[in-house]
Formats: sequence, structure tokens, C-alpha cells
Amino acid sequence: MIKVLGVHKSFGSLEVLRGVSLTVAAGEVVVVLGPSGSGKSTLLRTINHLEKADRGFVAIDGDLIGYRRRAGKLHELKEREILKQRKDIGFVFQNFNLFPHLTALENVAEVADLASARHFLERVGLEDKASAYPRQLSGGQQQRVAIARALATRPKVVLFDEPTSALDPELVGEVLDVMRDLARTGTTMVVVTHEIGFAREVADRIVFIDGGVIVEEGAPDEVLDRPVHDRTRAFLSKVL
Amino acid sequence: MTSSGTLTPMSTKDDDLASSPVVPARYPWRWVGVAFVLVLAAQFVHGLVTNPAWDWPTFARYFTAQSILTAVGTTIVLTVLGTVLGFALGIVVAVLRMSKSPFLSAVGWTYIWAFRSIPLIVQLLFWFNISYLYSRLSLGIPFGPELVSFETIALISPMGAAVLGLALHQAAYAAEIVRSGVISVDRGQLEAAAALGIPRFRQFRRIVLPQAMRSILPNAANEVISLFKGTSVVSVMAIGELFYQVQVIYGRNARVVALLMVATVWYIILTTLLSIGQHHVERYFARGDRR
Repeated sequence: MIKVLGVHKSFGSLEVLRGVSLTVAAGEVVVVLGPSGSGKSTLLRTINHLEKADRGFVAIDGDLIGYRRRAGKLHELKEREILKQRKDIGFVFQNFNLFPHLTALENVAEVADLASARHFLERVGLEDKASAYPRQLSGGQQQRVAIARALATRPKVVLFDEPTSALDPELVGEVLDVMRDLARTGTTMVVVTHEIGFAREVADRIVFIDGGVIVEEGAPDEVLDRPVHDRTRAFLSKVL
Repeated sequence: MTSSGTLTPMSTKDDDLASSPVVPARYPWRWVGVAFVLVLAAQFVHGLVTNPAWDWPTFARYFTAQSILTAVGTTIVLTVLGTVLGFALGIVVAVLRMSKSPFLSAVGWTYIWAFRSIPLIVQLLFWFNISYLYSRLSLGIPFGPELVSFETIALISPMGAAVLGLALHQAAYAAEIVRSGVISVDRGQLEAAAALGIPRFRQFRRIVLPQAMRSILPNAANEVISLFKGTSVVSVMAIGELFYQVQVIYGRNARVVALLMVATVWYIILTTLLSIGQHHVERYFARGDRR
């Protein structure tokens, strides 16, 4: 369903991604682990074309993101068309990025009609906060609104970029609960996180990235309990 | 007694602490300052009232005279048209200037460069005298046949020239104010809007502009107020706005001070109204900021 093929990305002289390929099946939950600076976030951002890959491609259900193939050539899409493609890809940011001048409901309704906006707020358990502004909500509640907003375009896949890293420890649980619920109901998810417990419990597959390449991937118990690679072991010994 | 270390030895008991009366800090110099300013203000008011040179009877006679009220109306019309057209065009120029297209960006930059470089009064005189440069304006195929043409002097009246000059001048400044507001909006907001696939124009109108308004408004209010008083420049074109009108009157009756006061008080009243309006509009755009 999602196909990432040989993606390279450099910022100046710094090569952040050095040929990453990854396939995610429909309904699958893939958790991406790795030390900071390993390229996890950049990988997510190339999937929805917030960053344009220098080389390599991303396709969702066979549609190339950001390009169109015609007569053996790849044509860059215009921004308008890329924006349309992004409706298929939900994105949850580390810093929520809610629109501060809009209420919770208005944030979600920005990309959906009111009835479904209400439905998605209900889905994350915040129907009673519909008319609150982001500043009036706790970090955990803000992130749940952001998740509702990401779901509101009815995407084929939802990408989570360290969704709990900006939260106070006691607020992490409520956000993970919502994500757990999404995973259970068959949402296709790619999650960059440092929550190893969540990864073990929810992930169908764990991908370990270091130095811009996928070092190791497999089922949670394989990667977390019987890592093959030294770099995976070194990382896990620090975070477990 | 963990707290005793920072207290005087006399009050080591917490009970003492809880029952001790609190003496608020006093600032005697504030009262000295207040007294000083009050005396100055009283002297000034006394001078206004007792010095016959202010000529209050003449002030009273002209303050609400029909010719002055009409002139105030003209000043307001110039301000409103200059503001509305200036900011409308200014938003367009700001969007051009921030465009990813190098061509559009250069167009925006050039506009701002040109209209900030020309003094307003010079520009106004150019528009006023445009019919000397081009006596006829026409629409048609470039370098080809004309389709329609007009007498410039019929098309651009002095009032039209004034509005045109003020609006074009204002647009250059408005564009930079709008741009400064837009670049003050957090990058994450644009990323979120882009990630949600919100179309560009809607991103600007629904997400960026309302947030940019917070920092645009104080600057914009400054601009409107300075434009409002800046309309007095238009008096060089013999348009009957407030400043021109009082000049005409004191040219006739030589009551210069009293008539300048008429204009001054009107400028103060209207600026006050604008400032009150600014306060309310700012409060509206700060609505997401309340706890």
C-alpha cells in the first residue's frame, strides 16, 4: 500500500536519508525507532512530500506522490495537485500545530463538514471540548484534537511524528490510548516514537533506522528482544 | 523548622508568620511625579483658558461651521478610500512579493521599491498633472489600433488623483506591514495546513491572515492614523479637505491660531475614534489567546 523506494535526502552537505526502502501494508502499524538525528522524521516528511526526496520515490496505492509518469518520463506535480494527494496522508506533528485562532471543532472542520468534525472529536473523546481554543486545552488534549484533524480528511494512512515527545509524562497515556484504538480498528499507521512499550504492544512491525538507513526490521519481539545488529542493541540498551 | 533559616531569629514560629500583618511596599516618589505632572497640566490648561490669543470665540464659531464639517467629511472619505484601496492593493503586492515565482516576487519588490522611493507630495502632484503628460488615455492593442479613448482630465479628477496617489502610496507600506505579519506566523502552521492539503489561497485566508492580523493590526492602525493626518498633504491640490479649508478661512480672516485649533481638535477627535476602533478589532483577533 505504501511503498518507499530508495529514498535519499540531503540538507546541504548532510545526508540524512541514504537509500531507504519500506513497504507498509493496508491496516499495518509500523513503528520507526532510532536515535535522534537518524532520519526518522525526515523519512515521514518525505512520505507526504513535506520534504522532496533527492532520489527515490514514494507511492501510495500505486500513485506516485509528487510526480506523474507519462511517456516514460516523470513530471513534477504542481503544488495544487500535491495538496490534493496529501488528503490521503494524515500527519500528526510533535508540536500539534493546531490553529490557535480556531476552536477544537473549527480546527477539525477546516478539512471536513461539521457533522464529521464532531464525529472525529468524539472518536478521540473530546466532544465536550468542541468550543475550546487550543490554548485552553492540555497538551494531551491538543494532540488528540490534532489526531482528530488528521483523520478528518479520511486518509489512507496516518503518519505520527513523535506524537508524545512534547507532552508531560502524565499526559502521554491518553494520546497513546487514542492511537492504540486507531490501530485496533485497522488504521494504517507509521509511527515515529520513543515509546518502546507502545511499540512492543501495538506495532505489527518495527523498523530501526540509524545513519539514514534501515538497519533492521521485523516483528516487535524479534527486534526488541533478539536484535541482530550491534547498533540496534546499543540503542535499545540506552532506551529500555 | 525548615523555614527558620531565612527568617529573623525573632519569628521562628510558623504561627507568628501567619498572623503577622503585611505592610504593602510604598512608592513616595510616584506621588511627587504625579504632583509635578498635575501642576504642569494645570498651567497648560490655565494658559489655554486665559490667554486671549487662543481666540476661543472664533474657534467656537468655526468648529461646527458647515464648510468645516464638509471638509471633515472629505478628509474622512480620503482616509477611508486610501485605507481600503491601499490595503487591498497592499495585500496583493505582499502576496506577489512572497510568491515562490521569481517573476511575481520581482514585480512585488519593484512596486514597493518604486512607491516608497517617491515622496507622497511629489507623487500627488504627478497625478494631479497627469494630463500634461498624457492628454488622452486609450484602451487598445499595444502599439496597434485604439479601441476606446478618454480625455485624461475627464477621467482623473483632482479628487480621483488624490485617492489614486494616496492609495498607491499606502499600498507600498501596507504590503510590507502585511508581509511582516505573514512571516511572523509560525512555520508549523503552514506545514500543518500543507499536510492537511488545504488549498493555497484558503491557507492564506483562513490560517495565515487571521494569525498575521495580530501583528499587522498595531502597525496598520499606525498607518491609517498617519494616512488620516497625511491627507492634509492633499491641500496642495486645492481639494477641500480639512487642512485646506482652514487655510482658506484663515487666509481670509487672519485668525490663524483659532482655525489651526479647529483642525487640530477634529484630528484629535477622529484619531481617538480610530484608536478605540483599533482596540476592539485587536481584541477580536486575540480571541484564541484567552484562557
